Amino acid sequence: MSVGVLRLRLSARRGRVRERIAGYLFVAPAILLLGAVLAYPAFVSLRLSFTVAGSPTGLGLDQYRLLLRSSLFWQVVRQTGTFVAISVGAHLILGMLLALALNRPLMGRTPLRIMVLLPWVVPDVVAGIVWKWILNPLYGVLNDVLLELHLVQSPLEWIASPKLALFSVILANVWRGFPFVMVILLAGLQAIPEELYEAAAIDGAGPLASFRHITLPGLRKVLVVALALDTIWEVRRFGLIQAMTGGGPGTLTEVLSTQVFKQYFQFFRFEYASAMAMAMTALLLLISIPYVRMIVREE
Amino acid sequence: MSRSGRLCRVVFCALVAGALLFSVLTPARSGELVTLRFSNWHLVEDVWGRSLREAINIFESRNPGIRITPEPISYAEKEPRYQAECAARRMPDVVKLHNFSLAMFFELGCAADLTPFVQRKGPGFLKTWYEFPLKMLTYRGRLMAMPDDFQSIVLIYNQELFRAAGLDPKRPPRTWTEFLEYSRRLTRDVDGDGRIDQWGFSIPASKNPGLPLRIMPIVWSFGADFITEDGRRSAMNTPEFREAFRFIVELATVHKVVPPGVTTFGPQDVRIQMAQRRIAMKIGSAWSYPIVNALNPQLNAAQVLEAAPVPVGRRRITAAWLDAWVMSPHTRYPEEAWKFIEFLTSKEIEKKFFEDNRVISSRKDVNTLPMVRTDKFSRVIVAELEHARLEPFIKEWPEIFDAFATALQEAITGAKPAERALLDAHTRVEEILARRR
Repeated sequence: MSVGVLRLRLSARRGRVRERIAGYLFVAPAILLLGAVLAYPAFVSLRLSFTVAGSPTGLGLDQYRLLLRSSLFWQVVRQTGTFVAISVGAHLILGMLLALALNRPLMGRTPLRIMVLLPWVVPDVVAGIVWKWILNPLYGVLNDVLLELHLVQSPLEWIASPKLALFSVILANVWRGFPFVMVILLAGLQAIPEELYEAAAIDGAGPLASFRHITLPGLRKVLVVALALDTIWEVRRFGLIQAMTGGGPGTLTEVLSTQVFKQYFQFFRFEYASAMAMAMTALLLLISIPYVRMIVREE
Repeated sequence: MSRSGRLCRVVFCALVAGALLFSVLTPARSGELVTLRFSNWHLVEDVWGRSLREAINIFESRNPGIRITPEPISYAEKEPRYQAECAARRMPDVVKLHNFSLAMFFELGCAADLTPFVQRKGPGFLKTWYEFPLKMLTYRGRLMAMPDDFQSIVLIYNQELFRAAGLDPKRPPRTWTEFLEYSRRLTRDVDGDGRIDQWGFSIPASKNPGLPLRIMPIVWSFGADFITEDGRRSAMNTPEFREAFRFIVELATVHKVVPPGVTTFGPQDVRIQMAQRRIAMKIGSAWSYPIVNALNPQLNAAQVLEAAPVPVGRRRITAAWLDAWVMSPHTRYPEEAWKFIEFLTSKEIEKKFFEDNRVISSRKDVNTLPMVRTDKFSRVIVAELEHARLEPFIKEWPEIFDAFATALQEAITGAKPAERALLDAHTRVEEILARRR
């Protein structure tokens, strides 16, 4: 082999190495930033969750043992499950119905689409405060309407009632969160070719058959995305619940996020709160598996 | 680029970084402008915020080398944020905290020791303050904060509503039995539509930092306490505690003298109810009248509202409110921060805070001023300081009170029978204190 060819190969290899290094340099700021704001705090929290005062190594599973033995923790897990399941289910139904309606050629469709999006742009805490006022037994507008319509005899204590409190919080959360699912589904609907519906109509398919055999399969991927993201967000929902009930009455509207906040910032039980946060993270990772698998498969 | 060019760049960058680091880490030399970060939840409030900003202006005009940067913060956010900032050694130089979270900040090492500064001022310096707050702010023999407001909790009532219900406005209820009787008479259907629209009493029974202040006087006056004197066991299973608990719960469930939805009320909800004449009595302190007045100037709160000692049960006792100025342990300017704290706790500024906000000082020489002694609210609040005590000064107190508040809400809303709810709270407090033991 001549010296010239060797030189050429060497320079090509150098070029490839340089290119690779440049690639790493380009992503380095993002990796550093993510490391600083995500990985490091997560590591600290993980270490805290295993911290045991008085143990020779300083580490142990005590916090997790305490967590698993706590009846309040399991009650909160159940309540979180109920809150998330009903919220996500209602978001899906409401989001789908509105997406289907707003996908049709309606008069004033654009302003309607913007209007339906409004609850999504309201900050969590503001939505909580507004709903607290709507449901207030003394001044609340909802009780006024129900009394005027003679649907109730006396004002209902929505968020103060053990039977209605969780339902009231879910109601506010459904209002707050359905636009997100609706927007994703609307985007998915717009990607389904119109010709498929025309062909189905020629073959005699009714609206229900079209929905079942064209719309639903066409929306499969966006449905997975919407469900996974919405579920993750609802498990983390904090501001709305904190502003409306603070977890009360008693502990009947406590969810994992409000408990982690309380244990950490109000009761100063950093290790225990970290263990709870880790349990919550594990749950969220489990929920995100279908979403991640879908992305990996596509790639 | 040549090797020497690259070297020049590296040297230049290192120099710039070094200069930046140096400027951040070294204290200011004399003659340089020092900027202190000052955080206080009152900064977001209209009246209080203005008063504080005026005080800052006075301080800056007298200390041209020191600039104060106000950092407003919400009441609920302050503890979590200061904690996180303290862990990152970025806590504002001077912050205000109140009693219930001070113990935790001291334990975490998030407060600078003020003892050396105080000692430098001479032996008589602290004599101007009440002993009780100073004792509360002393941790392991060191003074960790300087006291600011120190007020007792009293009964605030609407004289007009008393008169309308046939009660003598000059004779407020003195015992809890009288209080209940008054509350019953003040709970009325005023507009005659068949529905109750005015209640005798209201209390912010949601889980909020203001609840302990309003609950403790009732519990204590029944002769009960939340934990034993040595702070090692729960005392929520005593007959006195059960009696006090039942009394509070039955105000809502049996006598119905509090508005519906009481477990969702925060302090501001109760003030709104008082401003709108929906309730006749509430438990509060010096801040009540200016806030109610701002909510509804037509009420003429200064004339209509009156303060009286909290009714007495087995003993005459009430709760105290104490807040204090804390210096960050990581401040780069401890001398300047102390200067600012000294200014904020001076007679001149404490007098100004009284004039502007009607808050009672922890300085005896301010509370003996004629303007304080002749004010109808302050007179009662200062007099009641003699019977006032603070919540337990332990890190676990917020969790202990949460156990109580949970039981209270469960009993009022009927989620659990009162006895069962209280027993659960007692068990939880025992568990909390077992961790401490």
